[in-house]
Amino acid sequence: MMIPLNWVVGLGGALFAIGAVGVLVRKNPLIMFMAAEMMWNAAALVFVAYARSFHQMSGQVMAFIIIGTAAAEVGIGLAIIVAAFHHRHRLDIDEVSQLRG
Amino acid sequence: MTAFIILAIVALVGGIGVVVAPEPVHSALFLIVSIISLALFYILLSAEFLAAAQVIIYAGAIMVLFLFVVTLLTAGKEDREPPESLVGQRVTAGILALLAGGGLAVLGVVYPSRRIPLGLPAQFGNLRGMGNVLWGPDFLYLAAVAMMLLTGAVGVLVVNRPHRLAEANPRVEEQK
Repeated sequence: MMIPLNWVVGLGGALFAIGAVGVLVRKNPLIMFMAAEMMWNAAALVFVAYARSFHQMSGQVMAFIIIGTAAAEVGIGLAIIVAAFHHRHRLDIDEVSQLRG
Repeated sequence: MTAFIILAIVALVGGIGVVVAPEPVHSALFLIVSIISLALFYILLSAEFLAAAQVIIYAGAIMVLFLFVVTLLTAGKEDREPPESLVGQRVTAGILALLAGGGLAVLGVVYPSRRIPLGLPAQFGNLRGMGNVLWGPDFLYLAAVAMMLLTGAVGVLVVNRPHRLAEANPRVEEQK
Protein backbone atom coordinates (compact mmCIF):
# COMPACT_ATOMS: atom_id res chain seq x y z
CA MET A 1 0.00 0.00 0.00
CA MET A 2 1.85 3.03 -1.25
CA ILE A 3 0.27 6.03 0.37
CA PRO A 4 2.71 8.92 0.19
CA LEU A 5 3.55 10.13 3.68
CA ASN A 6 3.43 13.79 2.70
CA TRP A 7 -0.18 13.69 1.60
CA VAL A 8 -1.26 12.02 4.82
CA VAL A 9 0.56 14.68 6.83
CA GLY A 10 -1.09 17.35 4.68
CA LEU A 11 -4.49 15.80 5.32
CA GLY A 12 -3.72 15.84 9.04
CA GLY A 13 -2.84 19.52 8.79
CA ALA A 14 -6.05 20.27 6.91
CA LEU A 15 -8.18 18.44 9.47
CA PHE A 16 -6.36 20.27 12.26
CA ALA A 17 -7.08 23.59 10.53
CA ILE A 18 -10.77 22.76 10.12
CA GLY A 19 -10.97 21.82 13.78
CA ALA A 20 -9.23 25.04 14.80
CA VAL A 21 -11.65 27.07 12.69
CA GLY A 22 -14.54 25.26 14.36
CA VAL A 23 -13.21 25.99 17.84
CA LEU A 24 -12.65 29.64 17.05
CA VAL A 25 -15.78 30.39 15.05
CA ARG A 26 -18.64 28.41 16.58
CA LYS A 27 -20.17 29.48 19.88
CA ASN A 28 -22.03 26.33 20.83
CA PRO A 29 -19.79 24.63 23.42
CA LEU A 30 -20.73 21.14 22.23
CA ILE A 31 -19.72 21.88 18.64
CA MET A 32 -16.53 23.54 19.84
CA PHE A 33 -15.76 20.39 21.79
CA MET A 34 -16.36 18.18 18.76
CA ALA A 35 -14.04 20.35 16.68
CA ALA A 36 -11.40 19.95 19.36
CA GLU A 37 -11.90 16.17 19.11
CA MET A 38 -11.19 16.48 15.40
CA MET A 39 -7.92 18.26 16.18
CA TRP A 40 -6.91 15.33 18.43
CA ASN A 41 -7.77 12.96 15.61
CA ALA A 42 -5.65 14.84 13.10
CA ALA A 43 -2.64 14.64 15.42
CA ALA A 44 -3.17 10.91 15.92
CA LEU A 45 -3.37 10.39 12.15
CA VAL A 46 -0.02 12.10 11.66
CA PHE A 47 1.53 9.98 14.41
CA VAL A 48 0.28 6.79 12.76
CA ALA A 49 1.51 7.93 9.35
CA TYR A 50 5.00 8.56 10.67
CA ALA A 51 4.96 5.25 12.53
CA ARG A 52 4.18 3.50 9.25
CA SER A 53 6.83 5.41 7.38
CA PHE A 54 9.64 4.93 9.89
CA HIS A 55 8.63 1.37 10.85
CA GLN A 56 8.52 2.30 14.52
CA MET A 57 5.73 1.26 16.82
CA SER A 58 6.30 4.28 19.07
CA GLY A 59 4.04 6.45 16.96
CA GLN A 60 1.22 3.98 17.36
CA VAL A 61 1.78 3.93 21.10
CA MET A 62 1.49 7.72 21.04
CA ALA A 63 -1.75 7.48 19.05
CA PHE A 64 -3.02 5.03 21.68
CA ILE A 65 -2.21 7.59 24.37
CA ILE A 66 -4.05 10.21 22.33
CA ILE A 67 -7.17 8.06 22.12
CA GLY A 68 -7.06 7.35 25.87
CA THR A 69 -6.52 11.02 26.66
CA ALA A 70 -9.41 11.98 24.42
CA ALA A 71 -11.68 9.57 26.27
CA ALA A 72 -10.74 11.03 29.67
CA GLU A 73 -11.01 14.56 28.31
CA VAL A 74 -14.46 13.97 26.88
CA GLY A 75 -15.67 12.62 30.22
CA ILE A 76 -14.38 15.60 32.18
CA GLY A 77 -15.29 18.19 29.56
CA LEU A 78 -18.84 17.01 29.07
CA ALA A 79 -19.31 16.86 32.83
CA ILE A 80 -18.19 20.48 33.06
CA ILE A 81 -20.45 21.50 30.18
CA VAL A 82 -23.44 19.76 31.75
CA ALA A 83 -22.70 21.32 35.14
CA ALA A 84 -22.30 24.78 33.61
CA PHE A 85 -25.18 24.82 31.16
CA HIS A 86 -27.82 22.66 32.80
CA HIS A 87 -29.58 25.56 34.48
CA ARG A 88 -28.96 28.15 31.80
CA HIS A 89 -31.26 28.71 28.91
CA ARG A 90 -28.78 29.14 26.11
CA LEU A 91 -25.92 26.97 24.90
CA ASP A 92 -23.52 29.86 24.44
CA ILE A 93 -19.88 29.80 25.38
CA ASP A 94 -20.08 33.48 26.33
CA GLU A 95 -22.28 32.50 29.27
CA VAL A 96 -19.15 31.31 31.02
CA SER A 97 -16.81 34.02 29.77
CA GLN A 98 -16.61 35.43 33.29
CA LEU A 99 -15.38 32.08 34.68
CA ARG A 100 -17.76 32.62 37.57
CA GLY A 101 -20.64 30.48 38.71
CA MET B 1 -3.71 6.22 -4.11
CA THR B 2 -7.37 6.00 -5.14
CA ALA B 3 -8.26 4.79 -1.67
CA PHE B 4 -6.32 7.70 -0.21
CA ILE B 5 -8.17 10.25 -2.31
CA ILE B 6 -11.60 8.83 -1.55
CA LEU B 7 -10.92 8.54 2.18
CA ALA B 8 -9.38 12.01 2.31
CA ILE B 9 -12.42 13.51 0.64
CA VAL B 10 -14.74 11.71 3.05
CA ALA B 11 -12.68 12.82 6.06
CA LEU B 12 -12.57 16.43 4.90
CA VAL B 13 -16.30 16.51 4.12
CA GLY B 14 -17.02 15.10 7.57
CA GLY B 15 -14.75 17.69 9.16
CA ILE B 16 -16.29 20.61 7.29
CA GLY B 17 -19.73 19.28 8.17
CA VAL B 18 -18.83 19.33 11.87
CA VAL B 19 -18.00 23.00 11.62
CA VAL B 20 -20.87 24.21 9.44
CA ALA B 21 -23.75 22.06 10.72
CA PRO B 22 -26.34 24.21 12.48
CA GLU B 23 -27.48 21.58 14.97
CA PRO B 24 -25.15 19.78 17.39
CA VAL B 25 -26.72 16.43 16.49
CA HIS B 26 -25.82 16.81 12.83
CA SER B 27 -22.38 17.90 13.89
CA ALA B 28 -21.97 14.70 15.92
CA LEU B 29 -23.07 12.57 12.97
CA PHE B 30 -20.56 14.30 10.69
CA LEU B 31 -17.88 13.71 13.29
CA ILE B 32 -18.70 9.98 13.23
CA VAL B 33 -18.18 9.99 9.44
CA SER B 34 -14.81 11.67 9.85
CA ILE B 35 -13.76 9.28 12.64
CA ILE B 36 -14.66 6.17 10.67
CA SER B 37 -12.80 7.36 7.60
CA LEU B 38 -9.77 7.96 9.81
CA ALA B 39 -10.14 4.41 11.14
CA LEU B 40 -10.00 3.15 7.56
CA PHE B 41 -6.87 5.26 7.13
CA TYR B 42 -5.35 3.45 10.09
CA ILE B 43 -6.02 0.14 8.38
CA LEU B 44 -4.32 1.41 5.23
CA LEU B 45 -1.37 2.53 7.35
CA SER B 46 -1.21 -0.98 8.89
CA ALA B 47 -2.34 0.03 12.35
CA GLU B 48 -5.10 -2.51 12.78
CA PHE B 49 -5.31 -2.36 16.55
CA LEU B 50 -5.64 1.41 16.46
CA ALA B 51 -8.34 1.18 13.80
CA ALA B 52 -10.36 -1.11 16.05
CA ALA B 53 -9.69 1.11 19.06
CA GLN B 54 -10.72 4.18 17.09
CA VAL B 55 -14.03 2.64 16.07
CA ILE B 56 -14.79 1.21 19.51
CA ILE B 57 -13.65 4.10 21.68
CA TYR B 58 -14.33 7.12 19.49
CA ALA B 59 -17.28 6.14 17.37
CA GLY B 60 -18.69 3.93 20.10
CA ALA B 61 -18.08 5.35 23.54
CA ILE B 62 -17.21 8.99 23.00
CA MET B 63 -19.85 9.76 20.41
CA VAL B 64 -22.55 8.00 22.42
CA LEU B 65 -21.57 10.21 25.36
CA PHE B 66 -21.75 13.24 23.09
CA LEU B 67 -25.19 12.30 21.83
CA PHE B 68 -26.39 11.78 25.39
CA VAL B 69 -25.24 15.25 26.39
CA VAL B 70 -26.59 16.83 23.20
CA THR B 71 -30.03 15.36 23.78
CA LEU B 72 -29.86 16.28 27.48
CA LEU B 73 -28.95 19.91 26.90
CA THR B 74 -30.74 20.78 23.68
CA ALA B 75 -34.01 18.88 24.00
CA GLY B 76 -36.98 21.13 23.38
CA LYS B 77 -34.92 24.27 22.93
CA GLU B 78 -34.50 26.12 19.72
CA ASP B 79 -30.94 27.28 19.85
CA ARG B 80 -30.00 29.91 17.36
CA GLU B 81 -26.33 30.60 17.23
CA PRO B 82 -25.98 33.85 19.20
CA PRO B 83 -24.32 36.84 17.56
CA GLU B 84 -20.71 37.54 18.31
CA SER B 85 -20.03 39.84 21.19
CA LEU B 86 -16.66 40.96 19.88
CA VAL B 87 -17.05 42.65 16.53
CA GLY B 88 -15.28 40.81 13.74
CA GLN B 89 -14.01 38.05 15.99
CA ARG B 90 -15.30 35.22 13.84
CA VAL B 91 -13.96 36.53 10.55
CA THR B 92 -10.56 37.36 11.99
CA ALA B 93 -10.22 34.10 13.88
CA GLY B 94 -11.40 32.05 10.92
CA ILE B 95 -9.00 33.70 8.50
CA LEU B 96 -6.08 33.40 10.90
CA ALA B 97 -6.82 29.74 11.65
CA LEU B 98 -7.19 28.97 7.95
CA LEU B 99 -3.89 30.69 7.20
CA ALA B 100 -2.05 28.87 9.99
CA GLY B 101 -3.61 25.49 9.24
CA GLY B 102 -3.29 25.89 5.49
CA GLY B 103 0.36 26.72 5.98
CA LEU B 104 0.69 23.61 8.13
CA ALA B 105 -0.96 21.45 5.46
CA VAL B 106 1.14 22.90 2.62
CA LEU B 107 4.28 22.47 4.69
CA GLY B 108 3.32 18.86 5.37
CA VAL B 109 2.86 18.21 1.65
CA VAL B 110 6.00 19.91 0.37
CA TYR B 111 8.37 18.92 3.17
CA PRO B 112 10.86 16.32 1.92
CA SER B 113 10.05 13.03 3.57
CA ARG B 114 12.31 10.15 4.34
CA ARG B 115 11.17 6.61 3.72
CA ILE B 116 12.92 3.61 5.18
CA PRO B 117 12.88 1.08 2.36
CA LEU B 118 12.94 -2.12 4.40
CA GLY B 119 10.00 -4.44 4.73
CA LEU B 120 7.66 -4.01 7.63
CA PRO B 121 8.68 -5.82 10.81
CA ALA B 122 6.54 -8.79 11.76
CA GLN B 123 3.34 -8.09 13.68
CA PHE B 124 3.55 -4.40 12.94
CA GLY B 125 0.51 -2.71 14.33
CA ASN B 126 -1.70 -5.68 14.95
CA LEU B 127 -2.97 -6.74 18.34
CA ARG B 128 -0.01 -8.92 19.20
CA GLY B 129 2.52 -6.30 18.19
CA MET B 130 0.79 -3.58 20.17
CA GLY B 131 0.54 -5.91 23.16
CA ASN B 132 4.23 -6.71 22.96
CA VAL B 133 5.06 -3.03 22.97
CA LEU B 134 2.49 -1.83 25.49
CA TRP B 135 3.11 -4.59 28.03
CA GLY B 136 6.83 -4.58 27.39
CA PRO B 137 9.06 -1.54 26.99
CA ASP B 138 6.24 1.02 26.94
CA PHE B 139 4.30 -0.25 29.93
CA LEU B 140 4.73 3.14 31.58
CA TYR B 141 2.43 4.74 29.01
CA LEU B 142 -0.24 2.10 29.46
CA ALA B 143 -0.14 2.63 33.23
CA ALA B 144 -0.25 6.40 32.69
CA VAL B 145 -3.34 6.10 30.48
CA ALA B 146 -4.98 3.86 33.08
CA MET B 147 -4.25 6.35 35.86
CA MET B 148 -5.54 9.17 33.69
CA LEU B 149 -8.82 7.40 32.95
CA LEU B 150 -9.28 6.62 36.65
CA THR B 151 -8.61 10.27 37.49
CA GLY B 152 -11.11 11.29 34.82
CA ALA B 153 -13.80 9.07 36.31
CA VAL B 154 -13.19 10.46 39.79
CA GLY B 155 -13.16 13.98 38.34
CA VAL B 156 -16.58 13.47 36.72
CA LEU B 157 -17.95 12.37 40.09
CA VAL B 158 -16.44 15.41 41.79
CA VAL B 159 -17.71 17.89 39.18
CA ASN B 160 -21.27 16.57 39.22
CA ARG B 161 -21.58 15.65 42.88
CA PRO B 162 -25.04 16.05 44.37
CA HIS B 163 -25.52 18.96 46.76
CA ARG B 164 -26.73 16.73 49.53
CA LEU B 165 -25.19 18.74 52.34
CA ALA B 166 -26.85 22.00 51.34
CA GLU B 167 -30.21 20.32 50.97
CA ALA B 168 -29.99 18.27 54.13
CA ASN B 169 -29.31 21.13 56.52
CA PRO B 170 -32.63 23.04 56.18
CA ARG B 171 -34.57 19.82 56.53
CA VAL B 172 -32.84 19.12 59.84
CA GLU B 173 -33.69 22.58 61.06
CA GLU B 174 -37.24 22.11 59.93
CA GLN B 175 -37.66 18.99 61.98
CA LYS B 176 -36.52 20.79 65.08
